[in-house]
This record gives sequence, C-alpha cells and structure tokens, in this order.
Amino acid sequence: MKKIGVFLCILNCLFLLTGCWDRKELAEIKVVAGMAIDKGEDAKYKVTVEALNAMELNTQYASGNAATIVEGIEGNSISEITHLFNEYFAQFLIYSHMKLLVISEEVASAGMLDFIDFLERNREIRDDFNIIIAKDGKAEDILKVSAHYRKASSLKISPQLDHLLEDWGGDPGMSIINFISELTLEGKEPVLAAVRLKGDREKGKSMENIMQVTPDAIVVVDSLAIFKDRKLVGFLSMEDSRNYLWIRNDLKTTSLSVECKKGDYSSVRVTESKTEVTSKWKNNKPDIHVKIKAEGYIEGTQCYKSVDKLGTIEKYEKLVNDTFSQKIKDTISHVQKQYQADIFGFGEVMRRQDYHSFMKVKDNWGEEFSNADVKVDVDFVLRRSGIRSKSFLTETEK
Amino acid sequence: MEKTKEGRKGVKGMNYFKKLMSINGKKEIPSDVVPTKAKEIGIDHLTFEALKEIINETFGNTTDLQSDVIRVGNSEGCIYYLETVVNTEMLKEMLGNTLENSADKDIVIATVDDLQELSKKSFGVSGYKLLKTVNHIVSSILEGRIVIVFRGVGQALSLNYINSEGRAVAEPTTQTVVRGPKDSFVEDASTNINLIRKRIKNHHLRFEKFMIGNETRTNVYMGYMYSIANEKIVAEVRSRLNEIDISAVFESANIEELITDKSITVFPLAMNTERPDAVATYLMDSKIVIIIDGSPFVLIVPAVLTDFFTSPEDNYQNYFMSSFVRLIRYISFMIGLIMPSAYVGVLTFHPELLPTTLLLSVIAQREDVPFPAVVEVFIMEITFEILREAGVRMPRAVGQTVSIVGALVIGQAAAEAGIISNIMVIIVAITAIANFVFPNYNFANASRLIRFVLIIVASILGLYGVLLILVFMVAHLSSLRSFGVPYLAPVAPFIVEDQKDVFVRLPIWSISKRPSYLSPNIKNKQKPQGSPSPPKPESGKKQ
Repeated sequence: MKKIGVFLCILNCLFLLTGCWDRKELAEIKVVAGMAIDKGEDAKYKVTVEALNAMELNTQYASGNAATIVEGIEGNSISEITHLFNEYFAQFLIYSHMKLLVISEEVASAGMLDFIDFLERNREIRDDFNIIIAKDGKAEDILKVSAHYRKASSLKISPQLDHLLEDWGGDPGMSIINFISELTLEGKEPVLAAVRLKGDREKGKSMENIMQVTPDAIVVVDSLAIFKDRKLVGFLSMEDSRNYLWIRNDLKTTSLSVECKKGDYSSVRVTESKTEVTSKWKNNKPDIHVKIKAEGYIEGTQCYKSVDKLGTIEKYEKLVNDTFSQKIKDTISHVQKQYQADIFGFGEVMRRQDYHSFMKVKDNWGEEFSNADVKVDVDFVLRRSGIRSKSFLTETEK
Repeated sequence: MEKTKEGRKGVKGMNYFKKLMSINGKKEIPSDVVPTKAKEIGIDHLTFEALKEIINETFGNTTDLQSDVIRVGNSEGCIYYLETVVNTEMLKEMLGNTLENSADKDIVIATVDDLQELSKKSFGVSGYKLLKTVNHIVSSILEGRIVIVFRGVGQALSLNYINSEGRAVAEPTTQTVVRGPKDSFVEDASTNINLIRKRIKNHHLRFEKFMIGNETRTNVYMGYMYSIANEKIVAEVRSRLNEIDISAVFESANIEELITDKSITVFPLAMNTERPDAVATYLMDSKIVIIIDGSPFVLIVPAVLTDFFTSPEDNYQNYFMSSFVRLIRYISFMIGLIMPSAYVGVLTFHPELLPTTLLLSVIAQREDVPFPAVVEVFIMEITFEILREAGVRMPRAVGQTVSIVGALVIGQAAAEAGIISNIMVIIVAITAIANFVFPNYNFANASRLIRFVLIIVASILGLYGVLLILVFMVAHLSSLRSFGVPYLAPVAPFIVEDQKDVFVRLPIWSISKRPSYLSPNIKNKQKPQGSPSPPKPESGKKQ
C-alpha cells in the first residue's frame, strides 16, 4: 500500500509539476532573426529586432512583400523591451532562432556592454549567434537592408561571416560565451567583426534593393573591432584580422599573395596551419615568440619559373616565410603601439607559462604588452603545385 | 514473506478487472450440452433399436443425419453418418466393394471378436476405431466419421470418411517473402501438421490433441520438440490449454487470449504466423506451437518483444542485409510510435529544435490552418484509421474507390482546402508506412494505440510528456511475461550470448546456440564452427 502511495505521489509530481506554460501555437509566434542595440535618445538603449515574415521567405507562398519587419523600441532594460514588442507585432516573438547581434559603434565605445548578461541568462536565446559591431552608423540600419540571399539581413550576414572565416579568415568567429570569457580573462582583450553599410541607407530598406544585380545597399564585412577594458578602442584592417586569427591558431584556410618578382605576384593557398606561442618574462619585459607551421599549395603564379624544380619550391617557401613573418610582426607592433590592447592573448599564454612573472604585471599588462619583444617565425611548406607543374608562362618566356 | 503478501494484493486488484472483462468468470453451462446419463451407457447394455432411438433423439430431426440399414453377409447393421461432412462417393464405393459385395457371403458378425476380425481384414489401414459408448458414437458422427452398429454386437465400428474439402495450400497472404518457401497454412489442422512434419522429420516432434470449446468441440493441437523444448514450459502450456473452459473457439486469437499471461496490455504475448517455415524455425528454437483446426494462423509461445521484429526471411537473405532490415524495423517502430506526437510537441513547445529554414517553412505552411497542431494531427490520424479500416473491410469490388477517394482526401484535397498543412500529410504518410513494416500485424496494432496516447500527452506536456509515456511503456514492457519468459529478454535481462540474432543477424554458422532465455533442454544447435575456407597448403610447399 505504501509503495503504491509513493508511486502515485511520483506520478502526480511528474504530470502536475509541469504544464503548458510555454505552449505557443506556430500561428502565434514570429521568429526573430536578428537584434540590434543602439544608444537610445530618451532612454539608455534602443533595441531593434528583425522579425521574419515566414510566408515571404517560402518560395511557394511568397507574394513579393517585405520578408522582414524591423522595428525598434527604446528603454532602459533590454529584457523588458524584448517583451514589449507586441506594441508593433501581432504575434509572440521567439528569440531562440536569433542568428545575429549587432552592437553599434557608439554603444561599444561607451562600454555599455552590461546588457550581455541578459543574453547569457535567458533560457531561450542560444549561444551560437554571431556578434558584430556596426561601424560608422547605427546598428539598426544593418538590419534594415534587404538581401539577395534569404532576403533577410540577419539570415544573410550570419552565414556570410561563417564562410568568410572558413575560406579566408576575416571574422574572429566569436560566440557570446567566448566573448564574455574574453571580456573577463586576464591577458586577453576581446575582438569582434565589424561591418559597415555600403550604399544608400534608405534605398536598402525596400525590396527593390534586391531586384538589382548590384544592390543599392549591402552590408560588407569591414574590419576587426578591438576592445580594451570593455570599451571599443579601434579597428584593424581585414588583413590584420586574418593575421590575428593566424596568431590565435584559429585560421582554417586562407590565400596569401607574395611578390615573386617586382610587380608580379604568386598566390599560395594555406590548407593546414598550426601556431604555437611562447610568452616568457625576459630582460624585464615580455618575450613573445610566435611559431607558425603551415602547409599549402600554389594556387596561381604570374612568374614564369617552372615550379617542378626543387629550388623554385624552396624559393617560394622562403618568400612566404619572410613576407608573412614580417607582416604578422607588423600587425602585432601596430596593435602594441596604437592600442596597447593584448587582443592576441599573449598575457593569457604567459599566465600559463610564466605564472609568477605575469601575476606581478597583470594589472599593468597593456603597457607591458606594448613593450614586449616579439619574434615571429613562419615555417611554410609547399606540398603541391595545383594540377600543373609548368606554367604556360614558362613556355612563352622561352 | 513480503513478496507473497504483495502478490496476493496484486491478484486482488486484478479481480476487479477480471470481473469487469469476465475473463475467468465461470458461467452456467446449458444442461443439454452435458451428456445425459444414457449416453454414458455402454452399447452392450442397449438393444439395436434402443440405440437407434437414442442416436436419432440426440441429433433431433437434423436432415443430414443418415441412418441406413445395411446387410453384411448374414448380419444386419445400421450405418450412421452426417451426409454433409462425409465423403459420400467414397462411402458408396466402400459399401459396395468391401461390405455388401463381400466375397464371404456367409460371414456372421455376432460378437465383438467377429467385428474386430472384419475391421482388421477390411479396414486395416484406414484408421478404424471400435467404440463402446453412445457418447463416443455421437462425437464420432460429429467429427465426420461413419459409425456402423451391428445387431447384437457390443461395440460399434467407426470409419474415417471425412470430406476434407477445403482451401488448397497457397501462398501466404499476410506474411509474404521475396525469397523463401511460398506455402502457407490452411484451415485444416491435419494439412497444417503435415506441412510441419514435411519440414521436420524427427520422431521428437510431438503433437498433443485437445478438444476445446464445450459446444464447438474444436480440435486444438500443441506441438513441440520433445528433445529440445523445456518440459516445464510445455507442461505450463498443456495445463493452460486444459484449463480452458469456453463454449466456442474459432480462431487462434481466441486461444491466445485465453492462455497468455493475464496482463492488461496492448502488446501481443503470443506470436502468430501462417508460414510453416517460421513454425519449423521456432520449434527448433525450443518454442511451442498451437494449431487450431479451422484457422490458418498458428500460435507460437512463448513470445518475446524482439521476436516481433524478426521475419522468417531474415534467415534467407544475406546477413548484412538482414541486419540492416532489422535495424530499419526498430527505427520504423519508433517512427510509427512517436512521429505524430513529436510533431505536436516540437511545434507547440519546442520550435527551437527545428532548423530555422524548416521552422519558417512549417510556419508558412501552417499560416492558413485554422486548427492547433494537435487537432490537425487528430483529424489526419483518425482519417487515416478510418481509411485503413475501410480498406480491410470493404468488399473487393469497391476496393478501387476507397483507395482513390482516400488518396484524394488525405493528400490533395485536405491540404488544398487549408484544413491541414502539407507537412502533416508527410507525417501521416511516413507514420502509416512505418507501421506496415512489421512482419507481425498484431504488433503494429499495439503501437497504433500508444501513438494516440502520446499525441494527447504531447499536446499538454510537449516532448517531456512523450518521454514520460515512453518511460512508462518500457516499465510496462519489462513487467510483462510470456509463459514465464521476460518479455524484454534477451535485452532486459541482458544476455550477451543471445545477442547474435536480435538487433543484427550474424552468419548462420556462428549461431550455434539456441536462445538461452527459453532454457532449452539441448543448448547447442550444432558444433561451433567457422565458414568453410579453402584447404591450407601443406607445410613446406609453397603455392
């Protein structure tokens, strides 16, 4: 009898301690694809969401209307605003499919990043969306552009960033979890990809924008945003952004151009690469050594030398090593001098490799980083030469 | 001590259901079915005329009872038979040749010894019987035999001239195979036993006959391999068959309900098949078969859950293919079970589980659907069940109509009218097809019922509810027993050595043991062996 009683209690709990509190019929929900955070005029923030119009995104049912609705509300708390959107929309907004978070340059420069707590805490929002900085303008404008791919701006930018990272390496691939951990980590400053609206802001809002081969307005990935002490301090060029990934060992594949003869260039494709960083305290300043091992093949050449000779290959390898160790070094010293922000995480490496020395200087790490001795070694190995050995140029030059 | 106490309470609890379903409720048997005292009397106590009167009285005025006076030599006799069940052609021939035109004109049959001599001489191999009581005479006549009573002789001669006209052995209709034997059982039990005996030529194959059905007196045969089958299970089946007290039995399903462990369950606790090769295979695995006269479906006990996922054809195909097909069956069981409820659960509670593109596509499709997802699912599932039932019951002549109308209703029209979404059609279709994968039809029915429970719970609790019900289902399954064998064996309890023929089928030469959960008398089928390989070259010689 007792056992049956216990069983019934458990059964009651299993069925009654839950319920249909989160039950929402599909017809009652609207999917949010992107969110933009701007500084409000009357309040602290302005939150803009890009809600998808599912009918227009389905080729079978589309009738040519706008595929998304972008509306913004001002308020002091982002979490409150997210529940306020029925001021504009008929359905509940669901944020679980959010692909993109755009933070305006203004907000990031002011260091108003405290709203991220909501994004991390909320059970509905995932941690796999892309975070970008809107350079030169408002964040909401990034969402208000119609796009050729999937029509909605967020649905286009999210894969755009992922594929850029995979194919060439211009996006740091930052998720909210990594961003938060880098914000708090000693000896590593966070970075984010920065995008910019190219073209006419007003024309981009209309669906006519995507009826042209070259749209009036399009979102382009522009640079890498650097943070220091939780504030946006500046931007790095796209090539620096690639070098950043390379130093961080996050580079997947990329293409490099080297000058093989004055005015002529050859390009190599890097398919494998591994970076090892050592960071020690030496001669009263940090001593940083970046060792990169990479493999690749020749993708194209403007020089006529036949690549089936051993000497040529070695020459190319040396060329790549020299050129890119210098370029990476330049990137580091640029960051050292201009921003004094250790975005490469050398301090974090030192914390692991030379803990006591780092603990002594950690409060002053930015300055110490800027004085650091940096040595970069690139060891590139050319494995293949594409499906040709001799170029047609070799023939014609004879 | 604890356990017995509990057990008693469990039984007490069951009583309510038993009463409700009157599973075991003994009822009063009509008095005229019970043989009257007169019928128990031996023939030697009755006169020729009195016997005739009793027999005629017993059968009343049924038109097909024939009682003709014949003469054999100098003796007078009376022949009784039901002309509707006796092969009258053969009977005429027999009467003409053997008895009346007997060369021995002055033969006298006056004693039991005379009768025995005549029987031996004339019907030595045709299966004659000598009957002593009226009761035996009556049941012999009912069985379709003819009975000859001679004046003054204390026993009656019973001869087998049953008109065994029935369906010829044909291809199976419910359990078809691509490769494998194409014969199937028929309604006649002796033909069925014949089909089994043809496959197993072994003196250890034993059949026991039971007469079940107080009024129908149906012949039921229990078959088993005497050397292999566990005698305790055999005894259990025998005693359960003996204990059956019911007025009528027409199909093996009736027997199945009467002998399987009394559990309130939707899962079948006995297998049925119409394939003699399947029966032979299971006999060799030390299972027991029950054949009912009048039904082509033969019962196989004990049955475990994994049996329902195997088809006799698994042994006739390449073992990689068989293993793959078996996995497909397990997957399709899960699809058939949870697909519609997962649809309801995901769409109303967890839209974040779908890829964004799919979610948008579903939202777009469902924009015009006026019902909540659960109502939509119910409309379609019920529609499908109606179509399915109609498809089974309809007269063959109107078959085309149902399938055409059905396809239109389910597929096109409903989606176009905006009552349901296109994706719902896909869900219902895949669920329906997944349900037809099973080699055993009655097992698919179990998942059909649970599916509806899952849909209702999914609409209230989402996928959490679906999981909850599945947990209860597994708990229930593990509580079931089929003739003492755990229903989930050999998975729970997990038996490593029996895994060779459960989720995958290993090559036939590697399965040298019978399933140990059936505790067979002889554990090994054959010696453990490998597959044949070319002879090794002699040492020293190089090839």
